[in-house]
Amino acid sequence: MRRTVPALLFVLAAGAALAHGPTPQKVDQTVTIHASPDAVWKVVGPFGGIGAWHPDVAKVEATGGDAEGGVRKVTLKKGGTLVEGLDEWKGPEHTYSYRMSDPDLKALPVSSYSATLTVTPDGDGSKVEWMGRFYRGDTGNEPPEELSDAAGREAMNRYFADGLKGLKAKVEGGATQ
Amino acid sequence: MNAAGTIRRGFVQRMRRCAMLAIGLIAVSGPLGFAGAQDLAVVSQQGARVSRIAAGAVTAALAVTASPAVVAADASGRLYISHPDGHAITVVAPDGSARHLPFAGQAFGLAVEPDGRAIYVGDWSGNRVVRIAPSDGAVEGEVAVGRDPAHLTLGEDGRLYVAERESRSVGVIDTRRMVRVAALSVGDGPFALAYDPIRRRLYVANVRSNDMTVIDTAGGRILATVPAGPSPYGVAISADGARIVVTDQHAASVSVIDADALSITATVPVGKYPEGVVIRGDRAYVANWFSDDIAIVDLTSLTTVGRIPVAEGPRSIVAVPPAAAASTLAGRATPGIAR
Repeated sequence: MRRTVPALLFVLAAGAALAHGPTPQKVDQTVTIHASPDAVWKVVGPFGGIGAWHPDVAKVEATGGDAEGGVRKVTLKKGGTLVEGLDEWKGPEHTYSYRMSDPDLKALPVSSYSATLTVTPDGDGSKVEWMGRFYRGDTGNEPPEELSDAAGREAMNRYFADGLKGLKAKVEGGATQ
Repeated sequence: MNAAGTIRRGFVQRMRRCAMLAIGLIAVSGPLGFAGAQDLAVVSQQGARVSRIAAGAVTAALAVTASPAVVAADASGRLYISHPDGHAITVVAPDGSARHLPFAGQAFGLAVEPDGRAIYVGDWSGNRVVRIAPSDGAVEGEVAVGRDPAHLTLGEDGRLYVAERESRSVGVIDTRRMVRVAALSVGDGPFALAYDPIRRRLYVANVRSNDMTVIDTAGGRILATVPAGPSPYGVAISADGARIVVTDQHAASVSVIDADALSITATVPVGKYPEGVVIRGDRAYVANWFSDDIAIVDLTSLTTVGRIPVAEGPRSIVAVPPAAAASTLAGRATPGIAR
């Protein structure tokens, strides 16, 4: 079994440096908000504005605006930084899609992800869906527990759920419908 | 026997026992059992199922070991399924019986000789392609390739193409000698491949550069780079080679590309996170990984005309030749099949 030690080290190094592995995982969170889709989009739409509503975010540096190629560098309160790039931003349709390619396992124990946030009408209010696809932190065959599929699912779902809870509080607290 | 050999033998025995326990037929309908007239097979990763689709509906679903990824078919209708986290390949016979072949690596991409005499497996984290025996999984040869080999597809003259995702290249393997005879630089993040024997072209979907590289395989050169949608993750060719369909994973759509103009002629909405795609006749069948269904895209009206629910996380879809016509199909089983 001595052979497995260097092999494992290699896999860990590769997992941190490379973006993807072969077993993607889902994250999917939704929230309903008592405000119009336009009012919700005004808060959640600006890609670089996540610091105004996500309670886990300490600081955001955004470049490139709300268009394909726009980038936000999100520093979390617990430490770690997520660099996310816009694939698509559709203001009239109240949706944007983005991806993270260079992992920061301190921020989230995943090696890459893409996600879409969409605001749709829901009765008198709005529904916000934040969903995506990600790969566990260690994409090798024998990931340690903290970099497993389960650890990734827990962290991503918590991060998205925290964000939507914060968004709801922000919009409903100061709604100007 | 040395220590490594002992471990490997134990591993093989464990896998064989595993195969006996883990595989069971969930549901079968129709007189042909698991096989059917010219139909499709879909692999669902989270749901750990391979589903057969005929005439727009699921006709059977077979439970397989956890996290299956890629499915390929040979000309007799036998299916081959990779398990990246399970050190194994599942082989499903047309009657639905299944067995496991051990694989000492992270099996992802698969290609199979039409006559079923050899299986090529990409070892994702091992950066190699391995040829294994269909009978027992014995390693018959292997070759080092670029980093993170994704999908594989067979061409002509014993050539096997490998999308080398993190090396921005396509490796060309001479399968007779298991030697990587060439590598072509493509876009960023090459993932899926489709080979057109009519135009002798290889189409390469590049996940990160959002485009498709077109390779002239006879000349061994890049013909064109065609812009596609966000995150091209799957590619298929119509039987006449005139149309290419690329899945745009981050846009919940497919791009329909004209093979002569080499430009997008239509963008058709499908489900969320589309991945694998295959074309039969004038319809494309798209595996929507997030939506857990297969979108049926009519390539004449350029609209989605139906959605077929399948088990959670469908990623890979393949056209399956009918077992009865295996010998007549052997020579033309490749067009439209996204391996």
